[in-house]
Amino acid sequence: MSNNAATAAPAESLHKIYKRKSQLRDVWHRFCKNKMAFVALCILAIIVLAACTADLFWDYEKDACELHISEKLQHPSREHLLGTDEVGRDILCRLVYGARVSLKIGIGAATFALVIGCILGSIGGYYGGKIDSVIMRFTDVLLAIPGLLLGIAIVNAFKPTVFYMALAFGISYISKFTRIIRSSILSIRDQEYVEAARAIGAKDSVIIFRHILLNCMAPIFVQYALCIGTRILSVSTLSFIGLGIQAPTPDWGSMLAGARAYIRGNAYLVMGPGVALLLTISSFNIIGDGLRDALDPRLKK
Amino acid sequence: MSNTILKVDHLTKNFYTPSGVLSAVSDLSFAIKAGETLGVVGESGCGKSTLGRTILRLHEPTAGEIYFDGTNITKLPPSEMKQQRNKMQIIFQDPYESLNPRMSVSQAIAAPLLIQKKYKASQKEEIDKKVLEMMDLVGLARRLVNSYPHELDGGRRQRIGIARALVLNPQFIVCDEPVSALDVSIQAQILNLMQDLQQQFGLTYMFITHDLSVVKHLSNNIMVMYLGQMVELGTPQQIFENPLHPYTQALLSAIPVPDPESPMQRVALKGEITSPINIGEGCRFAKRCLYVKEECPTVSPEMKEIEPGHFVKCHLFA
Amino acid sequence: MEENKVASANEEMLNIKGLVVHYETEDEVVEAVNGIDIVINRGKAHGLVGETGAGKTTTALSILNLVPDPPGRIVSGEITLDGQRLIQFKELTEEKRAELEEKGAWAPSEPALTEREYEHIRGNKVAMIFQDPMTALNPIMPVGEQIAEAIEVHGEYSKNEAQQKVGEILEMVGIPAARADEYPHQFSGGMKQRVVIAIALACNPKVLIADEPTTALDVTIQAQVLETIKELRQKLNTSMLLITHDLGVVAQNCEHVSVMYAGEIVESASVKEIFAGMKHPYTKGLFNSIPKINVNVTRLMPIPGLMPDPTQKPQGCKFADRCPHVMEKCQQSKPELIEVSPGHHVRCYLYETI
Repeated sequence: MSNNAATAAPAESLHKIYKRKSQLRDVWHRFCKNKMAFVALCILAIIVLAACTADLFWDYEKDACELHISEKLQHPSREHLLGTDEVGRDILCRLVYGARVSLKIGIGAATFALVIGCILGSIGGYYGGKIDSVIMRFTDVLLAIPGLLLGIAIVNAFKPTVFYMALAFGISYISKFTRIIRSSILSIRDQEYVEAARAIGAKDSVIIFRHILLNCMAPIFVQYALCIGTRILSVSTLSFIGLGIQAPTPDWGSMLAGARAYIRGNAYLVMGPGVALLLTISSFNIIGDGLRDALDPRLKK
Repeated sequence: MSNTILKVDHLTKNFYTPSGVLSAVSDLSFAIKAGETLGVVGESGCGKSTLGRTILRLHEPTAGEIYFDGTNITKLPPSEMKQQRNKMQIIFQDPYESLNPRMSVSQAIAAPLLIQKKYKASQKEEIDKKVLEMMDLVGLARRLVNSYPHELDGGRRQRIGIARALVLNPQFIVCDEPVSALDVSIQAQILNLMQDLQQQFGLTYMFITHDLSVVKHLSNNIMVMYLGQMVELGTPQQIFENPLHPYTQALLSAIPVPDPESPMQRVALKGEITSPINIGEGCRFAKRCLYVKEECPTVSPEMKEIEPGHFVKCHLFA
Repeated sequence: MEENKVASANEEMLNIKGLVVHYETEDEVVEAVNGIDIVINRGKAHGLVGETGAGKTTTALSILNLVPDPPGRIVSGEITLDGQRLIQFKELTEEKRAELEEKGAWAPSEPALTEREYEHIRGNKVAMIFQDPMTALNPIMPVGEQIAEAIEVHGEYSKNEAQQKVGEILEMVGIPAARADEYPHQFSGGMKQRVVIAIALACNPKVLIADEPTTALDVTIQAQVLETIKELRQKLNTSMLLITHDLGVVAQNCEHVSVMYAGEIVESASVKEIFAGMKHPYTKGLFNSIPKINVNVTRLMPIPGLMPDPTQKPQGCKFADRCPHVMEKCQQSKPELIEVSPGHHVRCYLYETI
């Protein structure tokens, strides 16, 4: 019955003898098998790369912000690959710098919502009772406030900087994360392996974190990806109506706003920011879907 | 002379549901000697799983006392209870549900060591050594050390559960239907393994099951439960050869014997199992008993010792 | 000779010949059932014993052509129910066959009836009950309605007639007719299973396929349910294919039994014969590994090892690496079914007569 031969061998480190079948690697493989998701990831990688390396090609002040009225409304040429905008700035340059803003706010807001949502959802879901009721009513209140209006309010109360915008758009998404995490915890809380952990003597916090949260990762990651996408859209919307990112900071939404008057005959003005928005937000959505499929460990069987 | 390792005194566990009070365990008293096995037998709803978990304080007892190795653990504060958990462990029924699907075999077995701070997380070598030792002990091939539960069959998963229960060197293990979810030929393997481990380490088992035939050769004593109450207690020989309580008789007669020549003289039970919610006084088996007397539904019978070590709770023996 | 043939043809209710079922995924082919023969006579119960993965449920599903396709496929075999072919061998020209073979889509057998014809048989001539009574009933329909549904699909009844029949059927399984309007959650597990049996027997089927019908139930309830099935079967003269892993249940409820291992039948005989003398090492091992209340042991004798991976196809006998009597030829080639005594077949080289 017992494996006697094995006791003779010295106990070398497990990681050397047996290749650790990392779950992460499994997930990655499954994700890559999904062609659309993989392409979306590549597109996103290119966008992020471009945003990070923008300074190698342009100077922020001179190329993205300063006005060059003499060069205004030039069609795409070899010098300006996507043309120039209504005040003469290179569109491609502004597009790339605009990506920075969008990504910063999107990821910032999503992360903020995720962290707060996790904390609230875990506490509410695990302990139940009055604490849970209070947290749930709090999220109900948050849900009742339209996200865009909240964004406008906060931006007007404070300064329209990246930080406050991330805060504003993060707050409106807290409820969603809270509910998702809470329901995941409710479904896992009564599983036997949680009971097994208690039988070993694990503390509540350890149980919540190690056993429960890690098993809810799938819906959380998916929601995170989707959240970033929608936040970017919200920022652009706000900028489009003039209440978000202020000039001269480049932002896709404000680029679209500025181009509105000149569209006739100068379609390239909206192509850039429009396609950028489309690609970025869709990529996040598709990655979110791809993650959901790749993360379910039982889907494989 | 082995001493008593577990003593339970008038243990009661109630659950408070919106429809009323669910009396899961009612006034149970018994003791288990070190190194022995108590088989706890009963059908669904009899409270045997609740009993096992309450003894380990995974549920808080409503009333009564639990003494483990002389210490009264009924109201121990969490920090002291954590110490006690080193000595009392549990093996669960469903080997899939009781393992965290995201923890590999080695992580699952090492977890108790880390939580009880037997080793620091940085002591990888020592932890690995202990994990491999446990795997050898329970018969898990070393090459499975980084596998995940969903990659293994039920028998192997249950071995992980057993390894996890043993890694802290406990003295007492509650085995909650450990083989019910396994295939027939694997059941025998696991039962033999548990028997060997008991011999090797002097373990005390509380073996909970609905299958009387499984505990026949494993137990020193068998306790039969019905709707939260103990109805009979005795050695396997006493229970199988001289079952006293009508429920025990019905239970024994219902087991299909793998012998076509032996006729099934089934002792029929009236009706269905009654609800444990808002249950009153009196014998809980009264509604289904063929020998029911007038006092049975209203008066709770006393536990009587009919022969040395053979107890029964029934008005037929008053 | 002719007379015998006619007599046995009348006796036979269900005949499964050479059934082969595969599950094909993009990575691998699982040979779930590998050429089995079962004959069930009128009014008799046949036990199919085996563990998880032996292929019992697949066999049952094949009878009603319910094997999920894809990935399952009834590759070969012939199934006949009361003279009617359910699965038959294809009749194709040599060219067509070569064409299919080239495409890799060749299978000797095919369903013999249209889907509509199968629907007419399911629930009507052949009824199936499954293991889990909790999920077999629709939670939002009263049980009376669910029984009525079964009746109405297969017969012409007015509302009143149907209601009356429902009442009769419920009484037959020991449930008061007044409870017809209650919902499944108001019944206990054992009663739910009895409702399921009621639905199954509502149309007076010729064959009842019961797939582990009492495994999820307590032992006293199991006894009640099995008794109910026995009574009903005797009254309606229904044949039964009882799938179980429990040798005790087989001993008490069946006349014949086939033992399945890794997709094949390794031993088949009348229940009396088999329990009087088991021949195949797997059957013996199975019997010895179960604790029995009428036998005293100090230790059980398990069968070492595990059932082979269905994707690995060993050349010889599938039980070879777990068998205490394994010989060299066991690993090299697969033994055939041999009749060691009238009606008692074993698939093992130990019994090969010269």
